[in-house]
Amino acid sequence: MAEVKRRDEAPKPTKETKEEKPSGGVSRRDFLIGSGAGVAGLVIGGVVGNRVIGQPAAPGSAPVAPVAEVPVAGEVPTYKAGFNLVFDAVQCTGCNNCVVACAEKYATYLHPEETANVMNMEFARIRTMRFQYVDVMNFCGYCNLFEWAEGSSEYPCAAVCPEDAIITVPEGEGVEGYYGMGYKWIDQDKCLGLDACWRCAEICEDQFASGISFDPVNRKAQVCSRCGGDPECVKACPEFGALKWVPAARNGRFHAFIPTDHAELLYRKIYAHVREL
Amino acid sequence: MADLFGITGKIARVDLTAGTVTVIEPAVDVYRKFLGGSSLGAYFLFKEGIFDPMLDPLGPDNLLQFMIGPMTGAAPNARITVVTKSPYNIFCASTCGGHIGSEIKFAGWDGIQVVGKASKPVYIAVIDDKIEIRDADHVWGKGVEESELILKSEVLAEIEDREAMIRDADLNPTWAAMRPPKRKGMHAKRLAHVMLIGPGGENQVHYACICTEGARAAGRWGSGAVMGSKNLKAIVVRGTKGHRLADKKTFMALTSAVLKSESGDAFWRSYGTAGIGAASAYVEDAFPIRNWQWCCWSDPTVRAITGPFMDSTSFVRKTSCANCNLHCLYPVEITSTDPLMDRVMSDMPDWEAMGMVGGNLGFMEMEGDDPGQPFTGTMRDQAENLAKLQYTTFIHDNTSLDFIEGGANIALLMELVQRGFISASDLDGIDLKWGDVHAVDELVKKIAYREGIGDKLAQGTYETARYFAELKGKPEILDYSMTNHHYGQPAHDVRSPKDKNALEYVTVNRAAAHTGGGTGGFKTGDYAAAIAGQNVNATQNSLVHCQFAAGHLAGSRIDMVKAATGWNDFSDEDLQLVGAREYALSRLFEVHIRQLKDPKEEWDKQVPPRWFFDPLPNGPEKGAVAYEGKPDVLFNEALPAYWKERGWTEDKGIPTLDTLKKLGIDDIAGDIAKQHL
Repeated sequence: MAEVKRRDEAPKPTKETKEEKPSGGVSRRDFLIGSGAGVAGLVIGGVVGNRVIGQPAAPGSAPVAPVAEVPVAGEVPTYKAGFNLVFDAVQCTGCNNCVVACAEKYATYLHPEETANVMNMEFARIRTMRFQYVDVMNFCGYCNLFEWAEGSSEYPCAAVCPEDAIITVPEGEGVEGYYGMGYKWIDQDKCLGLDACWRCAEICEDQFASGISFDPVNRKAQVCSRCGGDPECVKACPEFGALKWVPAARNGRFHAFIPTDHAELLYRKIYAHVREL
Repeated sequence: MADLFGITGKIARVDLTAGTVTVIEPAVDVYRKFLGGSSLGAYFLFKEGIFDPMLDPLGPDNLLQFMIGPMTGAAPNARITVVTKSPYNIFCASTCGGHIGSEIKFAGWDGIQVVGKASKPVYIAVIDDKIEIRDADHVWGKGVEESELILKSEVLAEIEDREAMIRDADLNPTWAAMRPPKRKGMHAKRLAHVMLIGPGGENQVHYACICTEGARAAGRWGSGAVMGSKNLKAIVVRGTKGHRLADKKTFMALTSAVLKSESGDAFWRSYGTAGIGAASAYVEDAFPIRNWQWCCWSDPTVRAITGPFMDSTSFVRKTSCANCNLHCLYPVEITSTDPLMDRVMSDMPDWEAMGMVGGNLGFMEMEGDDPGQPFTGTMRDQAENLAKLQYTTFIHDNTSLDFIEGGANIALLMELVQRGFISASDLDGIDLKWGDVHAVDELVKKIAYREGIGDKLAQGTYETARYFAELKGKPEILDYSMTNHHYGQPAHDVRSPKDKNALEYVTVNRAAAHTGGGTGGFKTGDYAAAIAGQNVNATQNSLVHCQFAAGHLAGSRIDMVKAATGWNDFSDEDLQLVGAREYALSRLFEVHIRQLKDPKEEWDKQVPPRWFFDPLPNGPEKGAVAYEGKPDVLFNEALPAYWKERGWTEDKGIPTLDTLKKLGIDDIAGDIAKQHL
């Protein structure tokens, strides 16, 4: 994959600076704006331990992102809001390169000590599932409920979370290295963890997809953050077009499938077979 | 135990008779000597006394081992090796791709060994440290494809197996009214991986294989029959522990480099082994056609066995094993005017299938023609011929039969029919003509279920020939059995100087293996190089990684082993020794379990006479035979020279005590060697 240039390119932060960030509610961006530094510069949120201090979306308000800006042919896209992951099941070979890239990124980020000597695919926010002759890719689709039909326009997982632990870090804020689009994040302090609650994962499997999994170390929920706008999985994918990061329909629920449903559809499409999974 | 990296230091031993699971913790020294996979499996065959000549391969005492190595897990191109005493009474170390090898490591094991026999059909569920023996009545008798999908859904990791928690009250009222939750709880976040048998294995057909992911198999030497004899339908593995690596950063960097290199490998990434295709026939003159009576068609327009033709006709996807960018397996949907085959899901065929159940069964010519005549059909006819080949691949895979030995077996019968030795009445009324896919379909099902004549044929090609030779009182029937050490020859010939040298098949430690390595050395008579090649391949089966990717891994293999295990003093020479140990052990194993007094006469010379006395009838190497028609040169000059180079005795090919001592295995194999020296 081509190296993607970002308009809001920030210097790679060192670990020390990460730990020094204040944990206050004021984001770095606000601070910069307030001090007249403008929006073109750094966008850095505060991090304490594993906790991200972004601004959760205001309760009840839909995380509406701007309409996608389609890049002109030949130009490097500089703005990722409105982009989504698109998976092509015919091109995908189920090689797991994306899974390893994702798992390594988040394991190293969240549990650098525990995973210093372990490669564990359970940390992956993106997962291949091989239903024998078809491979299905699982990742959060960024589904929204429809207000007129379902009484809310939240993410369904966030809507059922009793602790408001599934937050949306607003566009341009959050952790160093995460810029561009608003992204989902699990507040590691608020999440009750797998031993107490798995509502988010269950509602996702029940009605939408299989986008939420659990961290094998701290047993908190995991969800795809799109790496804040520059997904590692897409960069790791060796198959042209199998996993794309492109301007796509905004409501991700139409990209999302429950894995067994998806596999059944693919058996129909690829092999003209009806399989009950 | 000290901190272990690469390996986990634990092998699970499941006793199906007692219903117990114990943990074996081999010393690190054992791992350093044998690594894992085929070599470590060979070690256990000795340690556990499986070399006992009286031990029935299909009895409860046989040891069935699913072995992986120190790299399996995070490494690219992971495979798994199944090691056991074969129902053919030979050494079985059969490797298989897919994701299950890695998954066993993620569950925290270096291997799973099965002994005993369950009283009723069971499967083994491995969920990290937890190993359960579960009832398999619901899948017993079902084909591989169906059973695998059922079993996959039944095994969940601890971190994903949850009852329903969501209540209507968790949703807002509008949503709950519109779409109340189904309350099914939480399930798989990554799927378990399965190795299983179909009816062929359940009925202990000697050449039954163990399948995974529908079309992959630990195909050869009949491990599926051993699994069936234990009433074991499947092992299903789901691991969440990951792979511990001594130097993760280096290991992952090496892995990335291998994967990047693979991404540029146009050969494998275009058609997989189907890319070899017609070159083997029209350039090498070494393609199996009609039980090796021909090795090339006189009319080069026959091309249904080429990658581009197959791709244009039927490839619909491509699938990879764990961490591999070569994706050499291409699933297909068969399109045919014949309702038997139309819309059947199958794969490729890969190299061995296109030879052994393609050309070898006479599928590629029009009815009534022979391979020496011009091809009289159209391109559409060629597509139909390809469909027959793909369908035959499917029925073997789905019943868990090895299509190499299966193809050799059926081709033998077809030639016996062609030559008038047997007729339809000997085959339960099946009129077995070259290229008749319906007859093949009936026969394979009879074999898989051991019905009627199928019960005799289920013992493999050589026994089929022996049965008919005795029945008809015609010993010459045995000459048409294309078996090497009583086991079917795969789709590489030894008559054409451009393919394999006969000595490669004679010396490879797993009977008639086409993946033994050392091909170049054997051809030039450089036995040191040949032995190095064989040792490397044995090491690959021990690490366990794929031979197709060997070129991409060659430069970094030793560095990856070091980075994974932290054995910083480990060297390329140590890797060579691993292979040499496996060869010495497997040779002693076969000599001992068969109690061979004169191994050369009784065993090594058991090759098809066709190699020497049936010149290639057409093609670029017309007239070629192996060793210029002089088997004595092969067995009395070349073979002793090879044995000498290995440090084995020149008369019998037994590893000397000195050699065993140098290899550091005199403690486990010395006594056996003394009995045969």
